[in-house]
Amino acid sequence: MSLGTDTDIAALIGRVALRDRAALSSLYAAASPKLFAVCLRILKDRSDAEDALQEVFVKIWHRADQFALSTTSPAGWLVTIARNHSIDVLRARKPVADNIEDNFDLADTARDPEAETVLKGEGRRIDRCMEELDSDRAVAVRSAYVEGLSYQELADRFNVPLNTMRTWLRRSLLKLRECLDR
Amino acid sequence: MSRPEQSEGDRSRDELLAGEYVLGVLSQADRARVEARLRQDKTFARIVARWQENLADFNGDYMDETPPDAVFSRIEARLFGPQPGQQKSVAQELAAAGSWWNSLLLWRSLTFASLALLVTYVSLQSGWIGAREPATPLVAQMSSTTGNINLLAQYDAGSGQLKVTPVASKPNEPRSLELWLVPDSTSLPISLGVLPEAGDGSVEIPAALRAKVREGVTFAVSLEPFGGSPTGQATGPVIAAGQAAAQK
Repeated sequence: MSLGTDTDIAALIGRVALRDRAALSSLYAAASPKLFAVCLRILKDRSDAEDALQEVFVKIWHRADQFALSTTSPAGWLVTIARNHSIDVLRARKPVADNIEDNFDLADTARDPEAETVLKGEGRRIDRCMEELDSDRAVAVRSAYVEGLSYQELADRFNVPLNTMRTWLRRSLLKLRECLDR
Repeated sequence: MSRPEQSEGDRSRDELLAGEYVLGVLSQADRARVEARLRQDKTFARIVARWQENLADFNGDYMDETPPDAVFSRIEARLFGPQPGQQKSVAQELAAAGSWWNSLLLWRSLTFASLALLVTYVSLQSGWIGAREPATPLVAQMSSTTGNINLLAQYDAGSGQLKVTPVASKPNEPRSLELWLVPDSTSLPISLGVLPEAGDGSVEIPAALRAKVREGVTFAVSLEPFGGSPTGQATGPVIAAGQAAAQK
């Protein structure tokens, strides 16, 4: 990570929330190589990645005041904005089949408090849990995240049917969750 | 809690969906549905945040790649208009306008502006145009990035009083907490002064600024040298920020 210390980045994001242009410039200097790499890796086209990076920093400028309220690490917060934007661009450019069943209910507000306390547990590092997966599945999980690949693209790359890939990733996610919570 | 099996099933379905969303494998429409739910369902938002935290270890796979210089100028142009980094003062703007001193238009505008200021001042003092002010009290809960201070800001448009109460703060340090108002995403922050260390934290908003205090503005607090920022802009880290919304 070339992103400087969390405290530095958090302070810069805080000053960006106060519309400090110099802070935006410093934040750009510190974070743009990493965030450009994210856009480029997902979009695989320099000109698209430049456009995406521009949008990402416009979003950072407008959303910086929400950062103070979030609990994620500042570098992680920036990378998430870049990944989400790039994946949205990619999916708009090359649509993939929907996946969530139609009866997917929106807000499930009446949740029991017990479930909430379970959620507070600190996650463990993922590396050890990745080792528990079959190696090709671990590679699939990692490429999905890093390159923003769809189920279809992953199925093509690993030369397995679409449904097999879906099962691979879903089982892997549940295994990872189980391992991370252990 | 009454139906533990179902709630267990829902939870693993949510875990899966959140994981798929963070991995990025979902379609555009499904991503939009997940994001809509994120905004309404705090528990689900926490499940997503935890996956984000867990999978962030993969961020190390992104090797730095320097973008072309032109990109930052484009960002500045998008955010601040065509002349990035150059904020002209009123005097520079007038000078650029040429023989401004003799301009009839200028004097007319100035007279009109003074009149408008006077009208605004009178109406704010007397509550004459009271309808423009928010009817419900505004409240912003400001939380710090480090979690060791929380402040609650409550604005009473009627009296022009902004009450800022530290909810849990560190023991006193020889530094000052300065309160800022950020009217919108294109304006510079305006200092509302240093937070008082005793009492109920009341800050009187100058009459001229009261019209700017409304829903959607951001309040923020920065850590400054004792007595407040020497430059008029925040110099220290912002320790808390929050948007004002109508109190429910």
